[in-house]
Amino acid sequence: MPLAAERAPGMPASSAAARGAGAIVVALAASVFLLFIVAPVAGLVASGGWRGLAGLGADRELRASLVLTAFTATVATVLGVIGGTPVAYLLARRAFRGRALVAAIIDLPLVIPHPVAGIALLLVLGRATPFGAALYAAGLRVTGSITGIVCAMLFVSAPLYVSAAREAFARIDSRYESVARTLGDDAWRAFRRVTLPLAGRGLTAAAIVMWGRAISEFGAIVILTYNPKVASVLSYDRFTSTGLSGAVPAAAVLVLFALLPLVALRALRMDERQGR
Amino acid sequence: MIRLANVAARAGAFALADVSFEVPAGGYGIVVGPAGAGKTTLLETIAGVVRATSGRIVLCGNDVTHAPPEARHIGMVYQHAFLFPHLTVRQNVDYGAASRDLADDMITRFGVDALAGRPVDSLSGGERQLVAIARALARRPRVLLLDEPFSALDPRTRNIVRRLVRTVYYEQRFTALQVTHDFGEAGLLGDVAIVLDRGHVVQTGDPEDVFRRPKSPYIADFLGAENVFAGSARPIRAEEPDWVEGDPDGFMEHAVAFTTGALTFYALGDVVPGPTHAVIRAEEVSLSAEPSHSSMQNQFRGRIIEIVPNGALSRVTIDVSGTPIVAAVTARSVRELRLVVGSDVVAGFKATAVHLC
Repeated sequence: MPLAAERAPGMPASSAAARGAGAIVVALAASVFLLFIVAPVAGLVASGGWRGLAGLGADRELRASLVLTAFTATVATVLGVIGGTPVAYLLARRAFRGRALVAAIIDLPLVIPHPVAGIALLLVLGRATPFGAALYAAGLRVTGSITGIVCAMLFVSAPLYVSAAREAFARIDSRYESVARTLGDDAWRAFRRVTLPLAGRGLTAAAIVMWGRAISEFGAIVILTYNPKVASVLSYDRFTSTGLSGAVPAAAVLVLFALLPLVALRALRMDERQGR
Repeated sequence: MIRLANVAARAGAFALADVSFEVPAGGYGIVVGPAGAGKTTLLETIAGVVRATSGRIVLCGNDVTHAPPEARHIGMVYQHAFLFPHLTVRQNVDYGAASRDLADDMITRFGVDALAGRPVDSLSGGERQLVAIARALARRPRVLLLDEPFSALDPRTRNIVRRLVRTVYYEQRFTALQVTHDFGEAGLLGDVAIVLDRGHVVQTGDPEDVFRRPKSPYIADFLGAENVFAGSARPIRAEEPDWVEGDPDGFMEHAVAFTTGALTFYALGDVVPGPTHAVIRAEEVSLSAEPSHSSMQNQFRGRIIEIVPNGALSRVTIDVSGTPIVAAVTARSVRELRLVVGSDVVAGFKATAVHLC
């Protein structure tokens, strides 16, 4: 079997050779790129994954941080779904003045550095600010608390949910809702009985993406709440206090943890392709 | 009853402007118009899923201009069915049904009982359309809006389903408005025809009247009139033409001569002398071997340049002094008159068959 591309009848030899060389360059570039992505992650998991998993029973702090990460990411995701779904629906369905601006503002947290996002949140929710002080007076402490972690996660990952949910709604022809309305449903009932089931997979995928992004957040969380430590902050903390050897098991477990939403997402998409 | 008064609306690239017409209670309206005329937008505006920006919409005596779709007691069938893909056929028909019995009845009538448990993505285009019609009728609507509902059906099924819809229509006596490209359907079904073009109603009236007396050559062309001629007309009552000798019906008052190219037709009408168009339906043109001594005021000898068989009728094109005239004649006439391309024949039509617009 020839390795290089076979020459088509009538194609000059020099042209076929140029194509073959081009294919080799592309293959090399793609391989280097994949290696660049895979090597650090694989190295981390290989060197600390087993140790981290084996040490989970004894490492109470790591266990607690993983539970805290999962819990806060879940709370943030639930809040993101509750608040983001109507916004995504409006952006997908309604043409209104300033829609592009609203969409851009919602996407903003995706493009600003996450420590900057943390500082921005601190300026609104910190105890020294009027709003933060009012929350504190009402018994809700944001900085240095689980609430702060949830706020940071929500701020940086909700735009991913809104963006994916908007796409999920946009893929559904609005005339399904129109038909439901002509069959006697009011707007909410048509949404609940038709749009939501049809967008269900897309919304679930959007929530998984948001959850996955939330568990990996570090920059904004570390500004708002260093303690209690989520897994990313714990990895950083161990790196600064005990060096690489202390940080690797926790970091490797976090990578394995982050694989969960990605596996769930792929399973969901395969399920969708098979039409289930 | 459906009454629209000066309605304007916009949906994406489609806009309606100053749309007014009325379909009486229990009547069957037909909307015809070229692609992009705004036909679907018109139905969606009546349904309330597109908001009317001005004007009034009255359904069954109630002003529903600002009412939500669910308060309008309508049923709507889109060209592409839009069955809910997460539900079975049975669940689709049940969705807005007035009663379970009515849903059962519609499922049986439209022959989809064997499909009841199936998911809708396993249905053919025709089956989907049947389910969509059954779903809309199971709601027992006061107004039924149909957007080219038979277009996905094969000709045989189309006739059956058209009859079924008609039967339910007579039983339930709802008011219907149907969009169609097929003007033959308008003649079969309609009490009122509404011709829409670029968001405007350009003609309304009895389908037969719209068909025979289109208001413009554009409408005539759209409605499939093969003989549309540009020319000029002049009243000839002062010339006392011999074909209105005696003038028993007072035709003389309206006698007109219409000239196109080298031909002059006789027609009847009130015209301002000058440029106009003449429309003659191909069905109104008869062919004979020799001029007849009948009341046919317009008779021209010409040469057959084309014969196109089309079902029971054949379209025969005759070149008369450089002007093509199309006649629709039966296959039997083609045989009996031995019509072949290149042979001479006489084309005739009455002055009353010439519509000036």
